[in-house]
Amino acid sequence: MGLIVAGVSHHTASLGLRERLMVGPSDTDAAARRLLAAAHAREIVLLSTCNRTEVYAVEGEADPVPAIWNDFSTLLGEDVAPFGYVRRDRDAVSHLFRVTAGADSMILGEAQIHGQVRDAWERSRGASGAVLSRLFQTALMVGGRIRNETGIGRGAASTSSAAVQLASKIFGSLNGRHAMVLGAGEMAELALECLVREGVRTAVVANRTHEHALALAERYRAQALHYDECWARLADVDLLICSTAAPHAIVGVEHVVGSLKERGDRPLCILDIAVPRDVDPAVGALSNVFLYDLDDLRTVATANIERRRDEMPAVEEVIAPEVEKYWEWLAGLAAVPVLRTFRTEMDRLREAELAEAMRKLEHLSPRDREAIEHFSRALMNKFLHEPSVRLRAAAANGRGLGVVDALRYLFDLRAADASSADGAADTSSTEER
Amino acid sequence: MLVIAHAIAITCYLLAAGLAATPFARPIAAPVRGVIALLSASVAVHLAALLAYTWQFGEPPLTGLGPALSSAAFLVAVTLLAVEALAREVSLTLVTAPLAALVTVGALASTLSPGPAAASAGALWLHLHIALSLLGFAAFATAAASGAMYLLERRELKSRRFGAIFRFFPPLETLDRVNHLAIVCGWIALTLGTALAVGYSLVYADADQLKVIWGVTAWLAITALTVGRVVAGWQAARAAIWSSAFFVAVITLYVAFRAIGPRSGEFL
Repeated sequence: MGLIVAGVSHHTASLGLRERLMVGPSDTDAAARRLLAAAHAREIVLLSTCNRTEVYAVEGEADPVPAIWNDFSTLLGEDVAPFGYVRRDRDAVSHLFRVTAGADSMILGEAQIHGQVRDAWERSRGASGAVLSRLFQTALMVGGRIRNETGIGRGAASTSSAAVQLASKIFGSLNGRHAMVLGAGEMAELALECLVREGVRTAVVANRTHEHALALAERYRAQALHYDECWARLADVDLLICSTAAPHAIVGVEHVVGSLKERGDRPLCILDIAVPRDVDPAVGALSNVFLYDLDDLRTVATANIERRRDEMPAVEEVIAPEVEKYWEWLAGLAAVPVLRTFRTEMDRLREAELAEAMRKLEHLSPRDREAIEHFSRALMNKFLHEPSVRLRAAAANGRGLGVVDALRYLFDLRAADASSADGAADTSSTEER
Repeated sequence: MLVIAHAIAITCYLLAAGLAATPFARPIAAPVRGVIALLSASVAVHLAALLAYTWQFGEPPLTGLGPALSSAAFLVAVTLLAVEALAREVSLTLVTAPLAALVTVGALASTLSPGPAAASAGALWLHLHIALSLLGFAAFATAAASGAMYLLERRELKSRRFGAIFRFFPPLETLDRVNHLAIVCGWIALTLGTALAVGYSLVYADADQLKVIWGVTAWLAITALTVGRVVAGWQAARAAIWSSAFFVAVITLYVAFRAIGPRSGEFL
């Protein structure tokens, strides 16, 4: 039986629906075990992020998809199937590789998913086994390779990260820099949060309503200034972020020019994220002043996303051979128990026919009986030798699953190897179910 | 052998520059290890060529135009390699590796043989002067290259063009720091080199007028830059503009002196 992924993602379901299906990190193990039992699967890994909830399963004797949909529908309180998708076998493998590389993410190429996949695998270890462990290990390796070898993760893809990218192009690291935020609204708070995360040394908040500036500054251990005082501090600042609700430009050439002499040659980066703009565009023409507005940030982010999209063929080039490599491994793994079942079944037939023949040949001496039994064994071994060798060879060169399927179909081997002691996977195609 | 080794070094410099330019063809980072490996190979081959020269002529490749240019190119490449290996940043290769290749081509185009012999007692003095001066020029070239890159990137950033230069050049701050460090190191080396030259000409031989003019001009240029950076607080665009302009002026003066100078086989 095969490898399956069933789930919902940002491609198929709304945020509200995804939120209701999301499984928290502490609940992942229990949920994976519950699904393992309900779906009668051999292995399960549950991947749940804000953008997707997916179940990776190695099938047992039955198709696990109905049980997975049933579980999801119970959580959701409505039928989940219309919002879900199922990928099987190779498609499931390449899907996970794409997910891990960020190639299936809402923001193409985002890096967070790599860690989320690793966490999901680690948290589901109680329900996973050799097949999925190998799959997730490979996916993490492939994801890493894709990030290194292609441009899918290059450049900022959101306006906030574009702002950081722009400032970093001037200053290198923002760590230890001095920043000032004009305004105390929602955007100003986001900017301040971003600056603190990037390690700016001192952040100053200035607003016409000083109480708002104080409240915001307190939340982020910044310093609040009265609006009128901020121009005197401009000479110390590397990065000025403007995000006020003023209906006209509040930062003019005269404000900046005053600080330029004191600043010497030090660059000043101004990010004007207000609409309407807070900064007179003429400020951008001043020497050592780099002025960017919201359109510039969007241009940077959009261009980066476009370039990431252009990298998709390169991503697929990395994924395709890795899927085949994994599949070859899986096929090799599948060949062993099927071969064992095949021989056992043939031996059972041989013994039955031999017993029948011996009943008719009761007059034979024990020595003759032994000779006939030996003959039957030798004949069977001769017959089975070539198919066994060829099956192993097919598994080794990646054609194992097709031959295994044919063998099972021709000799009606069913799932007799399902409980093989080594836990090896059985991977017959879905058509046989 | 000498020519072949130099030709291999030139090829490696150009390949390193080509590899560093990968991001302009595809939106991926330049392969830092690959570029540094290629640069290391170039430097190793170039060093082998210089050692072979020393073995062949019994003196270091410092006197004579060809050997001096080859040593200068080698020192430019070594400086580049050191800066990039420390910073794990290879975009400077785009400018500096072709510069090293160009100077090496100049060395090959000249004769790869020693210049007039130095007074035997002062040979060490002379060789030290040349080595330090070449090191100073290598640092000066690095400062000019980082300055030129700074100006190019600054122009892109000011005009809000977010193309390949925006994505793959190092931050302005990094280029500015490289420029500062290179100017200070270059000034120390050129000052020592010039002092040795003055001492050598006073003790052993009169110096050529052209040599003196050019040497003093170069030293004044880098001294002005050092004073500007360290004392007057120049940085960013101002430092970048002056370091590039001074370097171009010094090289132009050299070419002019070469054109009007009497001896073709010497550095000047």
